[in-house]
Amino acid sequence: MRCISADSKNRLYFYLGLLVIYAVLAIAPAFAQQDATDVDYRPFPKIGSRSAAWIAAQLHLLFGSFILGVPMFAVVIEFVGMRTKDKRYDKMAQEFIKLCMGAFSTTALLGGVLVFVLIWCYPQVMNRLTGIFGPTMIFYVILFFGETFTLYLYSYGWDRMQGAVSKMWHLFLGVLLNVFGTAIMFVSNAWLTYQTSPAIMGPDHKPIALHDEETGEFIGTLWQAVNNYTWMPVNIHRLIGNIAFGGAIVGAYSAFRFLVAKTKEDRAHYDWMGYTGNFIALCGLIPLPFAGYWLGREIYMFNNTMGINMMGSLFSWLFIIQAVMIGVLFIGANYYLWSGMTRIKGGEIYARYRPYMIAIIVLCVAIWMTPRTLIMSPKEMAAMGGTNHPLVGFFGLMTAKNTAVNIIILATFLSFLFYRRSGKAPTVGWRKIGNISIAAVLGLAVAAIIAIGLAGFKVESDFRVNVLTPVQVLIALAVMIAVTVTDLVMYRKAMRSNDINWGQMTDRSQYVLILLAITFTSLMGLMGYARSGLRENWHIFGVMPDTSPDAFTPLLGDAVNVIAVIMVIFFALVGFIFWIGLWGDKKKAERATVTAEVGVGDD
Amino acid sequence: MSNTITKIASLVVMIVSFIAYVAKAPAFPIASENLLPWSTWFFISTIANIILWQRVMKLLAFALLVIWFYAFAASIVPETSTARVILDDIPRTEEAFVEAGEAIFNGKGKCNTCHTLDPSAPKGRCPDLSDIGVLAGTRQPGVSTKDYLIESTYEPHKFLVPGYGNIMPPVWKPPISLTELEIETVIAFLQFQGGEVDLTKFEPPVDIGSAITEVEVLPPLLLGDVERGKRVFVDGAKCIACHAVAGIEQPAGQTLDDGVEVVAAPDLTDIASLNSMRYIEESIVKPNALIVSGYGSVTVKTNGASIQGTLTFQDEEKITVRVKDAGGIETEQTLLLSELDPEPIEELTNLKDQGYFWIEVNTADTGTKVRGDLADEDAENVIISVDGETQTISKSNVQVQATIIDFDGNEIVGELVSENEDEVTLMVDGEEQVIDTFDIDEGPIYGRALGKRLSVTSPMPDNFPLLLSVADMSDLLAYLASLTGATEETVAEAGASAAEAEDAAE
Repeated sequence: MRCISADSKNRLYFYLGLLVIYAVLAIAPAFAQQDATDVDYRPFPKIGSRSAAWIAAQLHLLFGSFILGVPMFAVVIEFVGMRTKDKRYDKMAQEFIKLCMGAFSTTALLGGVLVFVLIWCYPQVMNRLTGIFGPTMIFYVILFFGETFTLYLYSYGWDRMQGAVSKMWHLFLGVLLNVFGTAIMFVSNAWLTYQTSPAIMGPDHKPIALHDEETGEFIGTLWQAVNNYTWMPVNIHRLIGNIAFGGAIVGAYSAFRFLVAKTKEDRAHYDWMGYTGNFIALCGLIPLPFAGYWLGREIYMFNNTMGINMMGSLFSWLFIIQAVMIGVLFIGANYYLWSGMTRIKGGEIYARYRPYMIAIIVLCVAIWMTPRTLIMSPKEMAAMGGTNHPLVGFFGLMTAKNTAVNIIILATFLSFLFYRRSGKAPTVGWRKIGNISIAAVLGLAVAAIIAIGLAGFKVESDFRVNVLTPVQVLIALAVMIAVTVTDLVMYRKAMRSNDINWGQMTDRSQYVLILLAITFTSLMGLMGYARSGLRENWHIFGVMPDTSPDAFTPLLGDAVNVIAVIMVIFFALVGFIFWIGLWGDKKKAERATVTAEVGVGDD
Repeated sequence: MSNTITKIASLVVMIVSFIAYVAKAPAFPIASENLLPWSTWFFISTIANIILWQRVMKLLAFALLVIWFYAFAASIVPETSTARVILDDIPRTEEAFVEAGEAIFNGKGKCNTCHTLDPSAPKGRCPDLSDIGVLAGTRQPGVSTKDYLIESTYEPHKFLVPGYGNIMPPVWKPPISLTELEIETVIAFLQFQGGEVDLTKFEPPVDIGSAITEVEVLPPLLLGDVERGKRVFVDGAKCIACHAVAGIEQPAGQTLDDGVEVVAAPDLTDIASLNSMRYIEESIVKPNALIVSGYGSVTVKTNGASIQGTLTFQDEEKITVRVKDAGGIETEQTLLLSELDPEPIEELTNLKDQGYFWIEVNTADTGTKVRGDLADEDAENVIISVDGETQTISKSNVQVQATIIDFDGNEIVGELVSENEDEVTLMVDGEEQVIDTFDIDEGPIYGRALGKRLSVTSPMPDNFPLLLSVADMSDLLAYLASLTGATEETVAEAGASAAEAEDAAE
């Protein structure tokens, strides 16, 4: 086994030292400036204040999302391990938490960097926010202590707390860790959502401003500022998003470990771990659009200009890019499931459905990413016969997109159903009727969803929004629940043709896991830009204008470049943290080998 | 050895081209031709790295390729920025102003969110502006293209194009916050849409600097009790007598118990869907700020007779007034604007705000009489359109007019020549006329000009807000804010846009 030599370590420290010296030299001129204690803004050297705050905030958010998402499913997996008495689950959950531990300190570090950047570059904004949210910041610190110590106890106590009673306590610590983590996120969400929507919800969903319109003075209560218009939708959206993101990053980590694994056991272990990560990411991905819908609707209801900017103006094309990314997520997740069937004997019988399902999903993704708002020259418009294409233009409407999304979700569900069935044969007498029923229900559901989608072109939009769209979603959800229940009963005493050959996966499938993780991260970066950009030239929307040189929403083309830089830094940091973990594991394994050899020699 | 060099070289090219792409560096090797953009360098080198390297480096190249792909995809779609257009040193030329105005129209001003520049586009939230450079001059009688555009940007609520609601915010107010110069460029861009661009500096009708800090809202909004507000609406302030709301029966009768006359007023069933809260509030606090077409009261004089009623129609040549006789029977009378009697104007200020559309002045230096449509006005001049040609008359060069009514009822109107305790001398039709002060029943009423005007006011009492307590006002506003109608078009539109947000999966 290869280990890191002392020379390599020295070189690493040398380069890190150089990096730190460069960073200090780069920002030194800013400190040499004349004293400015009563200013609105201070420029961040080289890259500007906005980019500095943006990069720090997005990196903090990505790491935060990971360390909040992972414990949620780690504790569930630990619970599954306890119930099934399968130690593999317990080990996997522990490995997840190890990853979390590595990322935890980086999250805190980036949080500190963000606060320093904000205080330095935007002193008046921070002064204003601390004036309103001061008590919550103390609460945040208390929660942070709680989370830190709970995480330490949960992680370091894993091996010690393995007895029947101790395990229960350990699980309780896991739950407590999630409570602290979620509470921390809710508190910090209050600050940023307040900047977007400094109002509370009044009668009939009407916003009630929390500021005196003349002086801008805050006239609400602390709780009103916290419980602002978009607070809860963002909370729920991020909660689900964290699970999906955590699953995707775990999947990518497993894929990396799979690709560099030297032994069959390692490949099998990381294949299984990657599958679990992808499954968790899918579980989060499916409800995420619904939570996003709620958030978008609340933004619109808070301020219709903001809503129009989001979907019909400033950010309309951003949502086309978002559709591309979500399309990649669904196609990638399905591809991974289909690849997974190859490691199950008996899974090949479902291969014949793949071309059709690929066609359906690709077609639906194409509909989803069809733009409605086109920017064209008069010549182009004349050539097309209007502002929208006579046929394809209809796909740009929400009724077509909603239909496509529901069908994608059902197709993905069907992929998972096939995966679950692979290598099993039902023994119940009514299996034929059961299969026909499931096929009929799915077929009817798709037909109904399409019929409702077609009706959506004809009816008033409020009827479509308030009745037809929810009915489409309910049909999809109801069918998924009904089919899952039927399938569970049908396959309860199924004959297993063979076990899953973990580790027998193509390298391509592992690249898909990495693709999913990068896509999730890109998506979060992109939507972070949209959420923050919606405020336009306001620090606090409608209350505190941004008068800095960066008081405008950058072009999408410029924003994605910043996001690309953030992505590179994020994955470099994640890679470094994972590598450090890998390095520690190797050292530990080496010591264990040496000890074992010594032990054998003693005998 | 050569294989290693190739691998390292491709790795270096990949990293350098990625950084250059993100930093938007000029293309290499020939920047001006954009011969090999960094995206091409990056794409080719990344593919080479994926082929050449194994395991970790292959993974790195793949990850970088995915990151780049999303950045590249997002950079080639149409995009809008709210970036400021720097106008510090903008030359006052048509080309520069129109170009800057277009950027602001599509950017910071966000005009393109609601307005289209395409006559074939489906009806949007606000009127299409493809020929606004021509159409603007025909929207309001006597209002030039530029004046119309100035009013539409600074005070968009003053005139609403039929079929469109009062939804446009004044663009100088937050959150759009255009500066005077930015508004000037947008106006130039709009004039350019089929019309001629006039870059003459103008006096903004609103002083942005001071107006932005004015107190515009009285009570804290929407903190009131909706149910109690309804009682104020029906029983307290008796708004229901004039304003209908679906589901509430209106009392019969021409007058209320306290003698206040019942007049036709806009239906408020869906007022909160069609208008902003600020508009509703302003309509109560300042009823004359914007009068809904067809509901304004007007008093005009023609052939010495006074006609009072509700203005139901108006175009460049005529008006229609609905008049109620003593028996309560309503009839409509159409009058030519040219038939209206001129009246003396005491001060030549804010003429348009007072509703003047026609004016007659005598110049002091040459004694020439100038009469025609009031085209424009500023602090020093009045601009009169005479048979299609405009004449600028300095206000300091306007002869003072005087009107005297003698005890026989004769109205004598002329230029004031002299005046003392015993007599007043007027120049009437070129002849001096001396009037003994003992013969004067009324006057002299001094005026700087004669003018015809159409002054439309709201029948709603000006002191209405003073009749309500703060609690009543607050509750009333809360009630009005709840009047969204059942399934009105605007609600549907709002719902549709909300549905669009379904994509918003962050």
